[in-house]
Amino acid sequence: MAMTRDALVQALAAIVGVRQVLQRPSELLVYASDGLPGYRKQPSLAVFPRSRDEVVAVVRLLARERMAFVPRGAGTGLSGGALADGVVLLGLNRLTRVLSIDAENRLAVVEPGVVNVHLTRAVAPLGLHYAPDPSSQAACTIGGNVAENAGGPHCLKYGVTLNHVVALTVILPDGEIVTLGSSDGEVDGYDLLGAFVGSEGCFGVALDATVRLTRNPQAVRTLLADFTSLDAAACATSAIIAAGIVPAALEMMDQPTIRAVEASIYAAGYPVDAAAVLLIEIDGLQAGIDEDVVRLQAICLEGGAREVRVARDEQERTRLWQGRKKAFGAMGRVSSHLVVQDAVIPRTRLPDVLRSIAAIGEREGLTVCNVFHAGDGNLHPNIPYNANDPDESARVHRAMQAIMQTCVDAGGSVTGEHGIGLDKLDYMSLIFSPESLDAMCRLRAVFDPDQRANPGKVVPIHACREWSQTAVLR
Amino acid sequence: MSSTLPSSSASARACAIPGTPLAQAMPGLDSCVHCGFCLQACPTYLALHDENDSPRGRLVLMRALVEGDVSLDDPDVHAHIDRCLGCRGCETACPSGVPYGQLLEATRATLAMRRPLPLIARLILGTFARPWALGAALALARLARALGLPRLLAALPGRLGFAFAMLRATERPLGEAPYTPTGDGSRGTVAVLHGCVMQGLFAATNRATERVLGVNDYRLVVATDEGCCGALHAHAGDVDAARRLARRNIAAFEQSGADLVAVNASGCGAMMKEYGHLLHDDPAWSARAAALAARVRDVSELLVAAGPRRGGPLALHVTYDAPCHLVHAQRIATAPLAVLSAIPELRLTPLADADQCCGGAGIYNLVEAETSDAVLTPKLARISETGAALVATGNPGCLMQVGGGLLRAGSTTRVLHPVDLLDASYAARVPNADP
Repeated sequence: MAMTRDALVQALAAIVGVRQVLQRPSELLVYASDGLPGYRKQPSLAVFPRSRDEVVAVVRLLARERMAFVPRGAGTGLSGGALADGVVLLGLNRLTRVLSIDAENRLAVVEPGVVNVHLTRAVAPLGLHYAPDPSSQAACTIGGNVAENAGGPHCLKYGVTLNHVVALTVILPDGEIVTLGSSDGEVDGYDLLGAFVGSEGCFGVALDATVRLTRNPQAVRTLLADFTSLDAAACATSAIIAAGIVPAALEMMDQPTIRAVEASIYAAGYPVDAAAVLLIEIDGLQAGIDEDVVRLQAICLEGGAREVRVARDEQERTRLWQGRKKAFGAMGRVSSHLVVQDAVIPRTRLPDVLRSIAAIGEREGLTVCNVFHAGDGNLHPNIPYNANDPDESARVHRAMQAIMQTCVDAGGSVTGEHGIGLDKLDYMSLIFSPESLDAMCRLRAVFDPDQRANPGKVVPIHACREWSQTAVLR
Repeated sequence: MSSTLPSSSASARACAIPGTPLAQAMPGLDSCVHCGFCLQACPTYLALHDENDSPRGRLVLMRALVEGDVSLDDPDVHAHIDRCLGCRGCETACPSGVPYGQLLEATRATLAMRRPLPLIARLILGTFARPWALGAALALARLARALGLPRLLAALPGRLGFAFAMLRATERPLGEAPYTPTGDGSRGTVAVLHGCVMQGLFAATNRATERVLGVNDYRLVVATDEGCCGALHAHAGDVDAARRLARRNIAAFEQSGADLVAVNASGCGAMMKEYGHLLHDDPAWSARAAALAARVRDVSELLVAAGPRRGGPLALHVTYDAPCHLVHAQRIATAPLAVLSAIPELRLTPLADADQCCGGAGIYNLVEAETSDAVLTPKLARISETGAALVATGNPGCLMQVGGGLLRAGSTTRVLHPVDLLDASYAARVPNADP
């Protein structure tokens, strides 16, 4: 017979201490949302282990009792992936230690709750950094990054989280501890590490991650190109890549985004009358970098840029990047509610897809704020709106679907880096056949045959038929 | 395709607590997009790692109060709202500009309608609201200090010992050597807020403030009958008392005729700059409050506007800790450093996480002792790493919290106001009024 809720609370408290278990509804409210607060799913209770041993004991207890759970880092995700609908929320944000730094081999071992930017800060004195830099890096955790295979502006040149994780110690949902990957190089057999990174918490819980550290480049140049049309900025993006330059980052922001940022504490000096700006960064060896700056300037000016500014110093560079990275948060200035889409399209389709998105916004009478990773065609249309207005909400709903359909029709994918979570479940069938979805379910069954880890996410319910049996704690 | 737009029916619900201060402040809540960038800027989140003790979490609780998901009597809501330091570190991290400080005060005022403040808070706030009572309390504190009681009793366990350590921290590490300021008064007239704790326990710093302003060409005038700014009351939700005290100060500084009001306690400066908001719905006072608020400056702002003049050498090793109500509430980050850089031979070592709260937060260290200690611990560790002999910080609460903490930890590092250092530098060599 299943354990009662009170008994479970007691058993968990015996492992982690009374204060590390939250069970009253008012204290669970905040854990009902992640970075996409339109979704609210209240967990039955939340448990916050403070050490690896406590995580292991908690997961084994839940396995013994056959209870479902949802791992959560900092709750900055943008797909509702860390929401626990009536099941146990397993908070990993108290495991914040950098366990070791190996400067010689440029590796670090971290606990899952280490904040992304804290790792970079810890290794900065060694001239190293952790390359994946999601815009939420000041708050999000490495464990969450692993679950979502997080991207970020600099992933254009340096690759996404998967390219920077070499090994993981994982506790599977049944309580078994396994090591995936190896810090000594390649492992034989199937790339299970590759399967785990980006599994959105459905395959188990990382107890620690061995990640690659990247040497800081000898030279960096950051450019801000200012365009009077979105189209010209999009064309310039393709022209830059076509010219054979691989920027470290190539980001686009449109006018509504620029204005939201410039009104905020992160005002970066972006031109508020520009239709769009490109934030371009190149890095590498000192030799030849300024020639590339000249080439980039020429390409942008030829493509219709009014001006191309080069950051004079580190302070200006930081300011330009802070504006970009905090743009999502700044949207709260535009209206009371916000939805954000995440889709990838072939880069060459940027101009016409952006035109289509603008037309959709116009048709529905909505402001679409574009702030995205132009270099790899990863779009993030944000739509601020007022959820108290049912008519506007309906229009936002239609627009979001139309935008996604446009991206899929352009040969794109339904997520670039935010994950499927809850938000994108319904889009999965747009790009995957029932057979493919079934194959995903079978892969998942290898790691989590009972489907107790983050149930109801990633693969639509009708494909996996999971969830209803496991939601015992409603 | 079925719905992929998050349901938002919750936000369309009617207000459950109409007419309360929180209901009025509701529009400020709407700018939160839940991005979470505030989490790592929040000292209580860093200490406790529970989102209920983070700005984003408290905003969720505030919205839940407004929407009726939790009641005004909910003890969890009270606990998490009480546990906020009010440092406003989240405001300088928030891209959307959520007016967190105002929302917090509105929430506390709303909760206070249901539940009286804890006894110790009421005692302290009641004392601060009555000039005679406060005068007597501070006189007693000075007497105790003069008798050396804090030295004996600072080692007592618990809050009592900590209170004596705080009192002992008000002893000056540098002597006072008065001199006659040589400035020409050309920068206009200034009245200094002497305030309550500053005048009661840091009177020498108030005198130093007037001297260094004089050296930098401000003409000092005196405001009579000014006093406690009301910040402690406003932060605790006792808005009526805060307003009474604000009105008294507004009248006093109007009477002084000064162009500007100089404040050397950043908590008070932040409060006085918000007098316009505090009295916005009081027709007789709103315009006067806004006008006075516009004339309030932190002393470091005035000094930097004037240079400040360089003084004589002080070969001291100093680090600077930024008071929250200076760096976050007033957004003044560099001016105090510029003041210290006007002192020849002063060695200034940067303090890591200087913009993190020390856990003092008005009377927080007395009513939320455990969390206050948890926030203070990393601050003391960072200070110790600098190896500095002195910590400069421009707020009496921070001086006493950090100073008391250092004493209790057995450190020899002492605390003082940046103005005290500039004053000592001027005492060593009074700058000539000629540029």
